[in-house]
Amino acid sequence: MSPWEALALLLLLATGLLVVTLRNAIHAALALIANFLVLAGVYVALDARFLGFIQIIVYAGAIVVLFLFVIMLLFAAQGEVGFDPLVRSKPLAALLSLGVAGILLSGLLGLKLAFSQNLQGGLPQALGPLLYGDWLLILLAVGFLLMAATVVAVALVEPNRPLDALRLEERKEEVLR
Amino acid sequence: MSYLFASALLFALGVYGVLTRRTAILVFLSIELMLNAANLSLIGFARAHGLDGQVAALMVIAIAAAEVAVGLGLIVAIFRHRESTAVDDLSELRG
Repeated sequence: MSPWEALALLLLLATGLLVVTLRNAIHAALALIANFLVLAGVYVALDARFLGFIQIIVYAGAIVVLFLFVIMLLFAAQGEVGFDPLVRSKPLAALLSLGVAGILLSGLLGLKLAFSQNLQGGLPQALGPLLYGDWLLILLAVGFLLMAATVVAVALVEPNRPLDALRLEERKEEVLR
Repeated sequence: MSYLFASALLFALGVYGVLTRRTAILVFLSIELMLNAANLSLIGFARAHGLDGQVAALMVIAIAAAEVAVGLGLIVAIFRHRESTAVDDLSELRG
């Protein structure tokens, strides 16, 4: 393992730990951005350059910003709310996730992987023919899924009455509600 | 190879987050962590088995984007009715 690899792994695990332990939701989302940026670097190191850039553009640039937007919209920065109905749930959850890690790691232990494939750097020129060849049907399905998700998201957050029909005070109330 | 181990540990961290977090938004953040762990292992395996793993990771990213759009829409809709996004309060879906 090279020093850079070790540093990347350390950063990945440290930022991941911050995401699941920080009490402030905004800080957790920022730690998630850090995690995604390190992950993008790892992707580039693994010959997946296109995916590395997609990771930065889509995840760090769009998805986490959407998260931050919703956290601020709902004043939900405070991560811990109300009283904890299960006081002993944290050690139990830690034990359970350690079990998951053990199962996954034991699956990897006997593995022998040969790193000999020519991936052409993972550039779009290499991914494109695959994407529009063997994977075309799945690509179309994902496109349909994205469209359906957009429609559902808009339908979910639509106010009950159209905003134009409300008076100004009612409109303020509706926005705050 | 070491990246596959890192992916397993990241996935376990995501599981821990989903089990312990008590706001829906933070549960979603942990789910994103798990999706990215899956992506990391897909790309790690692509190093040995060819480019298909990278295309699959691209699909996972697209599906994660759709999931975030619907999930955050749900959270906003629930917050409007309940004034809260704590998952402990959401034991029933009846509006």
